[in-house]
Amino acid sequence: MTNRILPALALVLMASIPAFAAQSSFQTNLGPMPLDDETKAVIAGRGDATAVLDGNTVTVKGSFHGLPSNATEAHIFTSPVAGVPGKQILDLDVTKATSGTISGTFKLSAQQAKDLRTGKLYIQINSEKAPPGYSWGPKGTLWGWLFPAHETVGQDVPQEGHWFIPQLDTPKN
Amino acid sequence: MLKKTGLLLGAAAGVALAGAMAIGAFAQGAAGPFTQAQADAGRQAYNDNCAICHQNDLSGATDAPPLAGDAFFGAWKGRSTEALYSKIHATMPAGRGGSLDQETYVDIVAYILHANSARAGTTAFTPTTDVAIGRVATGKLADDVLHPPAAAAPARGPREADPNVASSAGFARPGQTVRYGDPGRFRLPTRLGLSLKGDIQNYVPVTDEMLRNPPDGDWLMFRRNYQGWSYSPLSQINTDNVSKLQLKWMWSMPENGTMEDTPIVHDGIMYMWGVGNVIQALNAKTGELLWENRLGPAPTSAGPGPSSEETRSMGLYGTNVYVSTPQGYVYALDARTGEEVWKSHITDKEGVGRSTGGVIIINGKVLVGMTGCGRPKSGDHCYISAYDAKTGKRDWKFTTVALTGQPGGDSWGGKPDDERMGAETWIAGTYDPELNTTYWGTAQAKPWRRDLRGTGTGATDYANSTLALDPDTGKLKWWHNHAPGETFDLDEVFERVLVDHGDQKSLLTIGKAGILWKLDRVTGKYLDHAETVFQNVFTKIDPKTGIPTYRKDIIDQKVDQWLSSCPGPEGGHDWQATSYHKPSDTLIIPLSQSCVFMLGNGSETYFEMPGSDGNLGRLSAYRAADLKPLWSFQQRAPFLTGVISTAGNVAFVGDFDRVFRAIDVRNGKTLWTTRLGTTVQGYPVSFMVDGKQYIAVTTALGGGSPQLKPGTMLTEVHRPITGYALFVFGLPDEK
Repeated sequence: MTNRILPALALVLMASIPAFAAQSSFQTNLGPMPLDDETKAVIAGRGDATAVLDGNTVTVKGSFHGLPSNATEAHIFTSPVAGVPGKQILDLDVTKATSGTISGTFKLSAQQAKDLRTGKLYIQINSEKAPPGYSWGPKGTLWGWLFPAHETVGQDVPQEGHWFIPQLDTPKN
Repeated sequence: MLKKTGLLLGAAAGVALAGAMAIGAFAQGAAGPFTQAQADAGRQAYNDNCAICHQNDLSGATDAPPLAGDAFFGAWKGRSTEALYSKIHATMPAGRGGSLDQETYVDIVAYILHANSARAGTTAFTPTTDVAIGRVATGKLADDVLHPPAAAAPARGPREADPNVASSAGFARPGQTVRYGDPGRFRLPTRLGLSLKGDIQNYVPVTDEMLRNPPDGDWLMFRRNYQGWSYSPLSQINTDNVSKLQLKWMWSMPENGTMEDTPIVHDGIMYMWGVGNVIQALNAKTGELLWENRLGPAPTSAGPGPSSEETRSMGLYGTNVYVSTPQGYVYALDARTGEEVWKSHITDKEGVGRSTGGVIIINGKVLVGMTGCGRPKSGDHCYISAYDAKTGKRDWKFTTVALTGQPGGDSWGGKPDDERMGAETWIAGTYDPELNTTYWGTAQAKPWRRDLRGTGTGATDYANSTLALDPDTGKLKWWHNHAPGETFDLDEVFERVLVDHGDQKSLLTIGKAGILWKLDRVTGKYLDHAETVFQNVFTKIDPKTGIPTYRKDIIDQKVDQWLSSCPGPEGGHDWQATSYHKPSDTLIIPLSQSCVFMLGNGSETYFEMPGSDGNLGRLSAYRAADLKPLWSFQQRAPFLTGVISTAGNVAFVGDFDRVFRAIDVRNGKTLWTTRLGTTVQGYPVSFMVDGKQYIAVTTALGGGSPQLKPGTMLTEVHRPITGYALFVFGLPDEK
C-alpha cells in the first residue's frame, strides 16, 4: 500500500554516517487531510517523504499519487503538536499533477530545527479541488507529520516489543 | 447563486457573499426560503429518517450532532442553506448519503430551518437555494417541535405503504419502484412473538457456582467469566492445527439494524440476539433452530442502524435466559422453550432510557446499564439498575452522575442537578466474587464539549470513571475518574478486566484515548498506565495519581472552533474488547488509529492518525503485570470484533474488511485467515460440544464511530450492506 523504500533509505543513510552527529533523518507517510462523506471525493491520495537535517540545513524529498485533482502547491507547516494544524513556514517544489514529487532544501532557524526534532513540522499538499482554507474545517489534500526515522513494515507483520508511537518516541525538547 | 466552486473560496469571502446575497431577498426576520408544505413534509421525513439518531426534538445523541438550538446555530448561522443541503445530502442517513430522493432531502432541510424558528414563506426551497442561515433562523427551537401537535406527533413507524413502491429489491414486484434507502417505506415481513416454541429436555440450570467457575466448554456470559477475560480454557484448537480450521455451519441473522452480538453457550445450546430483538436458541453443534421469540419491535429502517439499537450480551441463570433490549426492557425467557417469564423496563417512564450493553447476573440479580438517558433539564439521569432474577422487580439503582451533596457532587461547576447529564453505561460490568464488588465503566458527561456543557474544568464525576459497586445494594465503594472533564466523546466506558498478581488485585481498562489504565481494584488507587497509540489530547499524566492534563487549546475551547482530537471518537480503543490470556499474562487489545476535527456542535471531519502510515487497525499485546509492550501489528482495516484467546495459545479477531483471523498469542503472527460475507463484527466465543471445540463469530453492520469513521475513510473497501450472520468453525472430523 505505502512506499516503504524512502524510509528504509533514510534509515540506511542515518546508520551509515554516524560521524555526522548533527545529521538526523525524519520520515512521514502522507495521507488525506480531514474529510467527511461530502469532501472525500476531492481529498484523497497518498505519499511518502523524508527530511534529512544536516546542521541547520534540511533537505526534503518525497512523492505522492492518487490525488483527485492536480496538486497546486506544497508547504511545510509548524504545528503546536502533531495532529493540530499550524502555520505555513516553507514552500516546497511540487509536481502540478495528480502524482509526482515534492522537494526543497532550506536553512532552518533554531526554533524550526527544534520543531522538526520534536515532531511539530508537517508537509501539506494542496490541489485544485481541495485548496486550503475553505470554511468547513481545515482543508488541503495530503499531509503528514515528520517524525524521527523508524522502522516500518508491511501489513499484518508483527513487531516485537515496543513499536513506534509518536508522542513516546519523539524528543520532547 | 453561489455555485459549488464558490465554496472553495475562503471562509470569509464565502460567508460575506452569502450574507450579501441574502440581504436582498431574505432580510433578517423575513420569511424563510421554504414553504410550510415543505416543512410539514419534512417533519414526517425527518421522523422517518433522522429522528432515530438526532432525536425527535433535534437535540442529537451519541454520534449524531444537534440540529437545532445553540450548538447547531453557533456552527451554522454563518453558513448557507445550500451548504446545509449539500452536507445532509452527501452524508445522511449515516453511511448511506444520497440514498433518499431529492424531494425528501429538500423537505428535511426545510424542516430543520423551521425547527430553528425560520418562518415559512412562498418561495420553495431547492438544493441550490443559498441564504445565510443566520438571516432567516434564530436557533431557538420552534414551539411545535418542542410540543408536537397531536395530529403531527412523531411517527417513528413507517408511512402508509405506497403500493407502487417497494421497500427493497428483495420485496419488489415487477414494475415497482424500489426505494431501498427510504426507511419510511420499509416493512419487515415479521410477526412478533414466540414463532417457534422449544422443548429442550434435560436442561441443566445455571447456578451461581457455574457463573463463578464456568464449565470449560461453556460461554455463559459476555466475556465468559466474571473477570472479563474473554479467555477459553479449551486447547483442542491450537497453534499447531488452527490452520486446518473449517466452517462447520452458519446461520443467517435478521438484517436491517445494528448487531454487536455475543453468542452465549451452555451445555451445547447457543443463544443469540438478533436485530429486532429476535432471540434464538440453536443447537451449537448442528446449527438447528430450537426456539425463537421475536420480542420486537421490528426494524423500521432498511440497512445498517445507528449505535443505539444493539445489545451486546445476554445472560443465563437458573432455567432462564436474560435479555436487555435497546428499548430498555429486561426480559426473562425460559431457556428451554423461549416463553416469556417476566418483563420489566429499566425506567418508570417508557421511552426515556435505552440499554445496549447487556446484562451481568450476580447473586440472583440482573444488572443492567443505561444509554440514551439524561435529556437536558428533564431530571432524568443515567443509572445502573438491578432486577430480581426470579420476578423482574427492580431492587436498586445507582445514578451515575454525582449529585449535589454526594461525593464528587462539587465537580460539575455548580450545574443544577437536573442539568448533570451523561455518564451512560453501555458496556456490561465485571465482578469480583471474593470482594463482592462489581466494576462498571461510564461514558462521558453530556454534551461532550466543555464549551457547550458549561461545567468549566470540572471533573464531572462519575462520568468517564471506573465505578466499584456493591452488587447487593448498588452502593458506591469507590470511583476513579480517568478523564476528568472529558470533552471529545472519548469514552472510558469499556471492559474492566480483573487480574491478580500475587496479592495485587488489579483492574485494567482502556478507553478511547488509547491509554491502558491499571487500578488497585480494592481501593481504586491508580497504579500505572501505558499509552498504546498516538494521542495529543493530554500533555502529561501525573505518575502518582494518573490524572491527565489537557492541551491548552482544549481547555480554552470556544463553541465555534475546530479542535483536533487524536484519537477521535472511533478510539484508540472502543467496544471491541480486550482478551486476557491467562497462561502468558497477556492483554491483547484491538486499537484504532484515526483522529477528528470536531466543531462545538459535534460536526466532525476525520483523518488518519499521524505516524500510523494509514493503518487504521492496530492489534497490540501488553504484559498485564508491568504493562510491558510485547508485540503489535498494523493493518489498513480496523478491528471490529473483540478478541478471544484460548489455552491453545491462539487468539481470534475480525475486521472491517471481512477478514477473520487466528494469531499466535505469543508473537502476533497470523496463523489462519478466512474472508466472510461482510464486516466481521461482534464478540467471538469458543465452546465445546461432544468433545469438539468450536469458534463462533458474527458478521454484521451498524453502529457508531467504529463503523462510521472507517466507512468514510476507507474509500477502497467495499462491503455488502447485508450479510448479518453467525459462523461456527472447527477442526476437520477425524476419519
